[in-house]
Amino acid sequence: MSRRYLTRKVLHAALTLFGVLAFNFFLFRVMPGDPIGLLTRSERLTDADVAELRTAYGLDEPMPRQFVGYLGDVARGDLGVSLRTAVPVSTLVGERVWPTALLVGVGTLLATVLGVLIGIKGGWRRGSVFDTSTLYGSLILYSMPEGWLGMLLLMTFAGMLGWFPVGGFTTTETSGLSTIVDVANHLFLPCLTLVLGYIGEYAIVMRSALLETVNEDYILTAKAKGVPEHLVRRRHAVPNAFLPTFTLIFMSFGYVLGGAIVIEAVYSWPGLGQLAFDSINQLDYPVIQAIFLITSAMVIVFNLAADVTYGLIDPRVSHV
Amino acid sequence: MRHVARFVVLGSLLVTVLAPALGASAQTDDASEVVLRVGTVQDLANDNPFGVVGGADWGVATTEYDMLLKFSDEDLSPSPGLATGCEPSTDHMTWTCSIRDDVTWSDGTPLTSSDIAFTFRFIIDNKIPAYRNYFPYAPTFETPNDTTLIWKSQQPTFAPDLPPWVYIVPEHVWAPYDGRDRKEIRSASIIPAVGSGPFVLTDWRRGQGWTMERNPHFWGERPAVDRIEYRVFDNQEAMVQALKNGEIDIADAIQPSVFRSLEGLPDIATQEVVSDWWLNLAFNFGGQGPDADPLPALEDHDVREAIAMAIDKQEIVDKAYLGYADPGDTIVRQASAYWHLDIPSDEEIPYDPEGANALLDQAGYADTDGDGIREDPSTGDALRIRMPASEETTGAAEAGQLIVGYLGDVGIEVNLQPASDAKMNDHWGAGDFDMYIWYWSGDPDPDYQLSVFTAGLCAVWSDGCWSDPRFDAMYEEQRATFDREQRREIVYEMQRYLYDEIPAIVLAYPKWLEAYRTDRFTNWTPAPGADGYLLPTYNYTSVVTVRPVGGTSSAGSSPGLPAWVWLAAAAVIAAIVAGTVVRGRRRRDVA
Repeated sequence: MSRRYLTRKVLHAALTLFGVLAFNFFLFRVMPGDPIGLLTRSERLTDADVAELRTAYGLDEPMPRQFVGYLGDVARGDLGVSLRTAVPVSTLVGERVWPTALLVGVGTLLATVLGVLIGIKGGWRRGSVFDTSTLYGSLILYSMPEGWLGMLLLMTFAGMLGWFPVGGFTTTETSGLSTIVDVANHLFLPCLTLVLGYIGEYAIVMRSALLETVNEDYILTAKAKGVPEHLVRRRHAVPNAFLPTFTLIFMSFGYVLGGAIVIEAVYSWPGLGQLAFDSINQLDYPVIQAIFLITSAMVIVFNLAADVTYGLIDPRVSHV
Repeated sequence: MRHVARFVVLGSLLVTVLAPALGASAQTDDASEVVLRVGTVQDLANDNPFGVVGGADWGVATTEYDMLLKFSDEDLSPSPGLATGCEPSTDHMTWTCSIRDDVTWSDGTPLTSSDIAFTFRFIIDNKIPAYRNYFPYAPTFETPNDTTLIWKSQQPTFAPDLPPWVYIVPEHVWAPYDGRDRKEIRSASIIPAVGSGPFVLTDWRRGQGWTMERNPHFWGERPAVDRIEYRVFDNQEAMVQALKNGEIDIADAIQPSVFRSLEGLPDIATQEVVSDWWLNLAFNFGGQGPDADPLPALEDHDVREAIAMAIDKQEIVDKAYLGYADPGDTIVRQASAYWHLDIPSDEEIPYDPEGANALLDQAGYADTDGDGIREDPSTGDALRIRMPASEETTGAAEAGQLIVGYLGDVGIEVNLQPASDAKMNDHWGAGDFDMYIWYWSGDPDPDYQLSVFTAGLCAVWSDGCWSDPRFDAMYEEQRATFDREQRREIVYEMQRYLYDEIPAIVLAYPKWLEAYRTDRFTNWTPAPGADGYLLPTYNYTSVVTVRPVGGTSSAGSSPGLPAWVWLAAAAVIAAIVAGTVVRGRRRRDVA
């Protein structure tokens, strides 16, 4: 991979990140609703108190100065203090990262592996019963809203059958090894929702990429050489068909964080999605800003990672 | 395939060996411990009584601390708390309170009158917003001994007997915070908390829930419950499912649509709590500032009366609250039963759209240009009303939609503007609205709620800067009346006066909805009265008296697959993966 390619990609990512920072900052300043006003209504403040609070939170300074201050704070890892709870945003976010990472990590991993396998099998035997049924299944799952699917699973497996807890991360009474089992029980339904929600997408993309490759000349050549079919598939067709799916996987790791908002809200999963949901309702600017920033940064970072790895596994790309 | 089989056998063996150990470790609960599990949709925002923000915060503080005088279980009237009583001097400028000598903080330190004086001074000196209004006329506090507190006021007052809704905190814990920056005080988090109430907060996991343990030094009756566990749900349906499954024992803050599904279920009892807030339709009379531009026609009592007549409050109750509310009349909430005036139905402004039309015709508001909207005869402007409605207030947006229809029928056009509370606050501050729909709640004592309608509170607490010297005079009179019965007569008269003058329309008294499992806990003590709150809201009596059914332990288990199933599943997956790898390697060797 050429150094120029790498430099260009990193530079693009850095520029995009700055754009996001600027957008993030100004977007939340032009939105309606004064955060201090929100505090006043619930706390009975006088005008003088409001002015004092405004100064304390730096809301009385001119916009450009607020922006420069914001950039410096972000660089230092200081994401501000939550207006509602008076707790540093980095603490709030720190507490929520792990549940989301667990849910999204396990869910995306399973969805990818299963989806890709289904896509390969279906694409290779196009028109078979397996292919037709998984294609329809994938389309149905792909188009199903996650919130609705989540509610359906919750009502059935937690409500009617009572096999799993209706939500949350752990039950407070457990400790030690049983905590792992407890978390697994709580994780099952949200994870299943996520897997079902994303598996179709991977299967469809993998299948269509494979369909394109099977008609290539080199596949015909391999077959003509007498290479066993499973080896033609594994060594010649799948690696070439895997490129678009590969990008999709990287991209979705970035996006899934946002997609998890709905699932986390359905299952009361104490992750970043839930934090985002609550802070939007309470107009807790510093928290919303931080989550927005993290989500955008995730997309940018994974995009960069996809570009770089893509360049590594497909040398054609990095010479463009 | 042989390889796969081998891995499966190995995995199963592992499960057989480990399963008993896992099974045993799941039983960490002390079998004799009584745990009350509460489901709620409101997460705790702040665990510190000086930073309370949301409903859950008040509940925790109410359970953790005592007040100088407490709100009674029956009707929230002042009754003995930390003080067995407070006696005024004849001029009502000095109040002497006798403090109990048997109260100890949860860390074992005795609670004395100086803790109380410290808390009051702390609030005044550090300008704690939620509580400072309870200390009018710059009072000073003296503690001649551990069991006496003297409250000295610059003017006659009944403030100590209101009573101040202030949680008494331990001086030895909070003294280091005295004089610090307000942000620092607000963000102080002290867990485990030191309190004098029956339970103290010992654990809080944001977004998940919190735990309150029994205070071993509690001065009152020993609670039967050892621990209260609160679980936060993001979603009403999930919370109700958890109640049906027995994952939780009681659910708080239930929405009407979900509440209905719980009625009539075996082992579940529902509680419709008497309303302590009201849905308010406020008129704007201007005066908030340069941006204030209310519709002049609303100054006309006939117009306001016609609007009141055009609104079908019963339909609002039925549609916006699915019947879990009462039609509103006066501005003192129903939960303050001692002070609330119920207007007899034959004296109420009736729902009468035809009468409203006739009244507007008579007052000269005719539709001169034939567009279906009446015009103001003095300005010639059409009666077009901007009406923001709080999206965060249950039922406000729905009521708003109904009102658009009601007023359309009498020739008044309403532009409904649903808004977040932050945006509502902007409208209120700027005065750029004609009417709005929001809510009011407050103390059991009506003083504060009445003060909101005085002219002096324009742009402070008044909704629309209504001003009426006669009402202001009555407010001052009730404030200087120290006989409770006599004061009530004036408070009644004031409610009646507001009802007739219509500076605002009380649309509905919505109920708070709770439900609990009858097969798990019994002997709740709702406050106020039989249809009061089951969970700590005004006082903590209920969590002291509640006990498990049959007197046995109630610690239920959370549903889920047992450990061995998980282990078996993990083993099978590992076996398949390993088998596939081995098979792949073998095939590659062949190729």
